[in-house]
Amino acid sequence: MRIKTFHIALALVGLVMGLLLSVQFRVTREIMKNPQISRVQVVAAKVGEARAERDRKQEQLNKMRSELDRIAGGVELGPLREELTKARIEAGLSGVFGSGVEVTLNDSNIAAKPGENPNLYVLHDEDILRVLNELRAAGAEALAINSQRIVAASEIRCTGPTILINRNQRLTPPFVISAIGNQDNLVNSLKMRNGVIDALQFWGIQVNVKKVAQINIPPLSGTMSFDYARPAEVQKSQ
Amino acid sequence: MKRSMYLSIGVITMILGVMLAIQFRTNRYIEQSVPADRAQELQVELSKLEKDNRKLDREIEDLAYKLEQAKKGQLQAREAIQDELQKSRINAGLVTVTGPGIEVLLDNPPGHIRRNSVFLLRDEDLLRVVNDLRGAGSEAISINGQRMISTSEIRQAGSFININLERTEPPFHILAIGSPEKLKSSLEISGGLVDYFKELGIVVKIQMNNNLTVPAYSRELQYNYAKAVRKG
Repeated sequence: MRIKTFHIALALVGLVMGLLLSVQFRVTREIMKNPQISRVQVVAAKVGEARAERDRKQEQLNKMRSELDRIAGGVELGPLREELTKARIEAGLSGVFGSGVEVTLNDSNIAAKPGENPNLYVLHDEDILRVLNELRAAGAEALAINSQRIVAASEIRCTGPTILINRNQRLTPPFVISAIGNQDNLVNSLKMRNGVIDALQFWGIQVNVKKVAQINIPPLSGTMSFDYARPAEVQKSQ
Repeated sequence: MKRSMYLSIGVITMILGVMLAIQFRTNRYIEQSVPADRAQELQVELSKLEKDNRKLDREIEDLAYKLEQAKKGQLQAREAIQDELQKSRINAGLVTVTGPGIEVLLDNPPGHIRRNSVFLLRDEDLLRVVNDLRGAGSEAISINGQRMISTSEIRQAGSFININLERTEPPFHILAIGSPEKLKSSLEISGGLVDYFKELGIVVKIQMNNNLTVPAYSRELQYNYAKAVRKG
């Protein structure tokens, strides 16, 4: 009698365990087959490929540009060439180097008190915009964030903890803003009383400014072509 | 006998416990692992990259043609360089451009007399408008006739705002060339800048226009510190 109840108990437990096991297997298999996950993986792989392709084409383009320059070097083009250099720097088509400053920005080290909005202590796109604006006002000649060149059409957008710039370049903190220009002017305008740095430090945002003798700023990655804007001169001549 | 039974039941319950714990963890994993917005985000990134690649292809084709021309002789080389110069100047904002886009008019709240009211338009308001327009794919922007290039500042100086070292004041007339619908909706999105300005009482008027003219940057470019990197 005693042995019999023992057997029944064991059988029951076995049954439950079997059920659990089969459910577990099914769930695991479902995870593997989940269409959304596999879709994400496929898209992620494609993104990686497309990015590699872009970088390759970018490199090719840079080579072609310098080849054109070399050919131009042999021809009597003097002033034309100088103008081209300037326009390329402004358009972000040419890498530049020179003395300047590097500004490093990082999220606040102050912990938000309970009930306070933690967002106040996080670095925002607006903060970066203001630092850039201040540097421009102080005569910065070329700018970049985390080695991404800032051009006329560059936007800075906050998406969660990362920042999007130049359409699809995702940057993560710390953000290093490089600016080429007069070092003293750049530093002084940032550190002005009640200036940008004061405002940021109120929220505990970590700001670090240092002068760098040689800053290298790469050309814009990707191209800038206009789909809507047309040069006005061409329209007049037509 | 009784003791061994308790022992075996004990072992079995332990195993059951572990299995349950695993099950819970996997269930939670499923819920976490499929954020629909990540898939969407990647998709958006992919289509942007593909667009980028198409543009690069066009650019490469164009440059290849110029190179071919340049190798033919001095005259052709000069032409190719001139062409390249014009293209760079357009990208840099040194050329007046026309195209479809939007006009934005911003003005201080009517009836404000006090000079230092917090509700008056400030440099940061303009910065945000410009940044939103750039984010919506605007190709050329000007504020009160000043073309915004990569080094253009928008800076409060007393009650004036300096743009490209020129003094301006409200009303601000902003022109942006790009897709009119995209530009307009980027500002009018709920919770966006237009909503914010309206709450402050700032006057905002947005108008789509199929034929805008954005002036060229008018100052001489000067580089005293930055030097171009030359490769090869």
